[in-house]
Amino acid sequence: MLLRTQRLIARQVWTTAFKNRAVFGLLIGIGLLLTYAAATGWVNVRQQNEIGRIYQQQARQDWLGNPDKHPHRMAHYGHFAFRPKAPLSVFDFGMESFLGNTIFLEAHKQNSVNFSEAGFSTGLLRFGEISMAMVLQLLLPLLLFFLGFGTVATDRETGTLKLILSQGVDWGQLLVGKSLGLMAVMLTLYGPVMVVTGLLWFGLQEGTVSADQRMRLGLLMGAYFLYLSFFCVIAVLVSARSKTAKTALVSLIGLWLMLTLVLPRTSQALGSYLYPAPSKAKFLADIQADVLKEGDSHNPNDPHYKRLKDSLLTAYGVDSVQKLPVNYSGLVMAEGEKISAQLYNVHFGRLLAIYDQQNRFSKAMAFMNPYLAIRNLSMALSGTDFAGYVDFQQQAERYRYEMAQKMNDLQIHFISNKKPGAAEKPHQIDKKHWEEVPDFSYQSPGIGRVFAHETISLLAFAFWMGLLGMVGWRLTKTLTAI
Amino acid sequence: MIRLAFIQFMRAGRYAGAGTRIGLIFLLTVGIISLFVGKQFSQRQQQAVADVIEFQQTDFPRQAAIHRDDMGLLLYYLKFSVVNQTRPLTALAIGQRDVNPSVQSVTIRALEGQQYDADLTNPANLLLGNVDFSFVLVYLFPLLIVAFTYSIISEEKENGTWSIVAVQSRNLLGFVGQLFLIRLAVLLAVLLVIIGLAVPTLGTPLDGSLGLFLATSVGYVLFWFSVCFWVASLQRRSSTNAILLLGIWLGLLIVLPAGVNNYITARYPVPEAQATTQAQRKGVHEKWDTDKTATIKKFYAHYPQFRQVPVVAMPFDWRWYYAMQQLGDDESAEQAHELKQKLQQRETASRSIAQFIPTLHTQLQLGELARSGLGNQLRFMDYTGRFHEKMRLYFYPRIFTNAPVSAEPWTNFKVDTFADTAPSSPVAVLGPLLLFIALFTGLGWNRFRRTIYHL
Repeated sequence: MLLRTQRLIARQVWTTAFKNRAVFGLLIGIGLLLTYAAATGWVNVRQQNEIGRIYQQQARQDWLGNPDKHPHRMAHYGHFAFRPKAPLSVFDFGMESFLGNTIFLEAHKQNSVNFSEAGFSTGLLRFGEISMAMVLQLLLPLLLFFLGFGTVATDRETGTLKLILSQGVDWGQLLVGKSLGLMAVMLTLYGPVMVVTGLLWFGLQEGTVSADQRMRLGLLMGAYFLYLSFFCVIAVLVSARSKTAKTALVSLIGLWLMLTLVLPRTSQALGSYLYPAPSKAKFLADIQADVLKEGDSHNPNDPHYKRLKDSLLTAYGVDSVQKLPVNYSGLVMAEGEKISAQLYNVHFGRLLAIYDQQNRFSKAMAFMNPYLAIRNLSMALSGTDFAGYVDFQQQAERYRYEMAQKMNDLQIHFISNKKPGAAEKPHQIDKKHWEEVPDFSYQSPGIGRVFAHETISLLAFAFWMGLLGMVGWRLTKTLTAI
Repeated sequence: MIRLAFIQFMRAGRYAGAGTRIGLIFLLTVGIISLFVGKQFSQRQQQAVADVIEFQQTDFPRQAAIHRDDMGLLLYYLKFSVVNQTRPLTALAIGQRDVNPSVQSVTIRALEGQQYDADLTNPANLLLGNVDFSFVLVYLFPLLIVAFTYSIISEEKENGTWSIVAVQSRNLLGFVGQLFLIRLAVLLAVLLVIIGLAVPTLGTPLDGSLGLFLATSVGYVLFWFSVCFWVASLQRRSSTNAILLLGIWLGLLIVLPAGVNNYITARYPVPEAQATTQAQRKGVHEKWDTDKTATIKKFYAHYPQFRQVPVVAMPFDWRWYYAMQQLGDDESAEQAHELKQKLQQRETASRSIAQFIPTLHTQLQLGELARSGLGNQLRFMDYTGRFHEKMRLYFYPRIFTNAPVSAEPWTNFKVDTFADTAPSSPVAVLGPLLLFIALFTGLGWNRFRRTIYHL
């Protein structure tokens, strides 16, 4: 039978693990935690998406419910965009709580995405959140270390190791067997979590599951399986290298703390220390300064807009803006919107580039720290990472721009250049035009984006497989029984 | 005897094969790094304030020159800024200050559409958290305390030296106490060095707040020592102690706080936030299509003093416009109030729960003392509201009479500063910690008295 010896050793790890009553307690504890995580995740995603859906509809009805009016009034009436949560955010909350979910879209102005959970938090949020992903990323590795610290070291201490090796078992078989046994224990938690995730994920999509989502779930399952297997192997290798079980335990605990607590924070802190981002006041002031360099649409004497006026007058062969067949201030606003939106996007792009630099350290750290690799990959696959958020911001900004320009366009073509007299009706257009602006609906990006953004994390997984395999192979040559 | 025990402690190899000294140097280094992080944080805050001052200084005269004949239009554009004062102590416990904007810039238009504007942040920084002093204290100090004390008796037993110690010592419990006190003294010295260094590097004034901050930190360290003392009294093996203590650390710093956070988020959702902005928008914009006199009438009901101000000719009917803006706030006041209440409930709930979880309690109280918690944010928002009202009341009569723009000293409008002076009671801050310290020390003492001679 294939791998007979290895399976025998694996079975021994399994039975030893479950002989310990404390292990049952730990498993039940983690199981309860996972249930809690699943329940709160489910409630939270449903609640937030429901709130978003209701207000999105409400905002749309409000928009359509406007009577006949001047299109520029509508441009200021504006619209809202609510960021929906992705189905897999039930599994990994990722950055969700630190990202805003509501943005007001109006002419001339790129508003901030407001109302992040963090802004409403008492500070508790900074301790972290319990999601199923958090349990798998953070707590399960520690549990595996607890279960695995003695796998080889205890055998060495009790002298069993000498017996096993003298019976013809080689180090390769021993390490593989011990790792497989630990992985079998790991599967008792990993399996149910993935089943539950799959069910909740399915439930949140209400029957229509896209191929993209299926790929995401599949990759997520694969990535977590690999990640947890890494920790099984690490536990066995450290145990094999340690003289006593106690040394193995202390080393593994120290390693776990380094990987999950110290390295992630310090690498991110280093990034933000080295690449300072501008303050909001500076960011906005810089944009305004650039816009003013191009021309101030609110200043009647601005040279840029004077040129625009002159060229229009020449083109239409008239001597004053009142005689133009198109609405002059509509044209001015369209030009202003174009310039300011373009410059905003340039500055926003620069800001994102700074953030990317800040995040570079913790991303590259994935090669030193599998915790960061899974963390980034898992967020990206679950649609709860920064890239997904930026995508939302960009879609909202495109929508805002098109809405504003549509209103300008309506003004250009349907509003007269003559100011109405005091007794006259104000300029306005028919309310049927409001329907010409489609509702905002967020299109979540495809999985291709994940590969593009998380190449490093994916490579890190390959690297860790290779590294652990190599270290294990090297150890089989150098390890001794005592 | 104490001297020998001290030397033995400083020389022994304990943590992950490395010596005590490596652990201490690690802690001290990260502690000093945390001061740099804090220093950079306050510098960025100062920069943000300088940026906003500079903007206001250049933007006000520029706008005033462009809109020199139209006070109403000018005030449509002018943004007045308020700064939530950053104290040197804030750099030690950054708390929520990196999430919530420390500068609010508002025009005199409807407040509800402006005051929730988010700051520019990199969420990856927020997610992974700051390496500030409170992190070092709350997360790392306990780990070192555990590493230094988990095997105090058990290791002697495992090495077979405990019976010798027991036989030779006249006061065995006192001896055990001394072993703990040596470690306590060393770690408190590290704590004092870090906070001592904070005084010159961050310019922290030696005042009552710092005193209470220090007392809380010491209390927190004592709390962990009392827990370790109790675990030692259970007289288990070293590895059992290590697992038990790490389990407690995990429970108190990862599992329980995160669980409480999930609970509070789910228990107090805030749909009021979205409700407020939508109500505000409708409140303002639908007035374009409703009866003008009705709008003005409602405005006068809110501000009877402006009824007397005579109507003058101006480029646009600004009285009507600002009445619309005012009604945006008035008509969303109910939702805004509910939102504030919800946040207050969150604050109250987490505080009461935190009393039973010393780690949470310490973090929240340090944030409160450093003025970086939700309480400070809510008070800052209230202050911004009052500031906004003040600006409105100052400018409304000038707009309604279209007062000459040039008569206003635009460069005299300074950026306002909010200094949070909410008092904190030492009893509420230290009480829960002291109770837990007494509890665990008592439990440990009691148990030791019965088991100390179990060899």
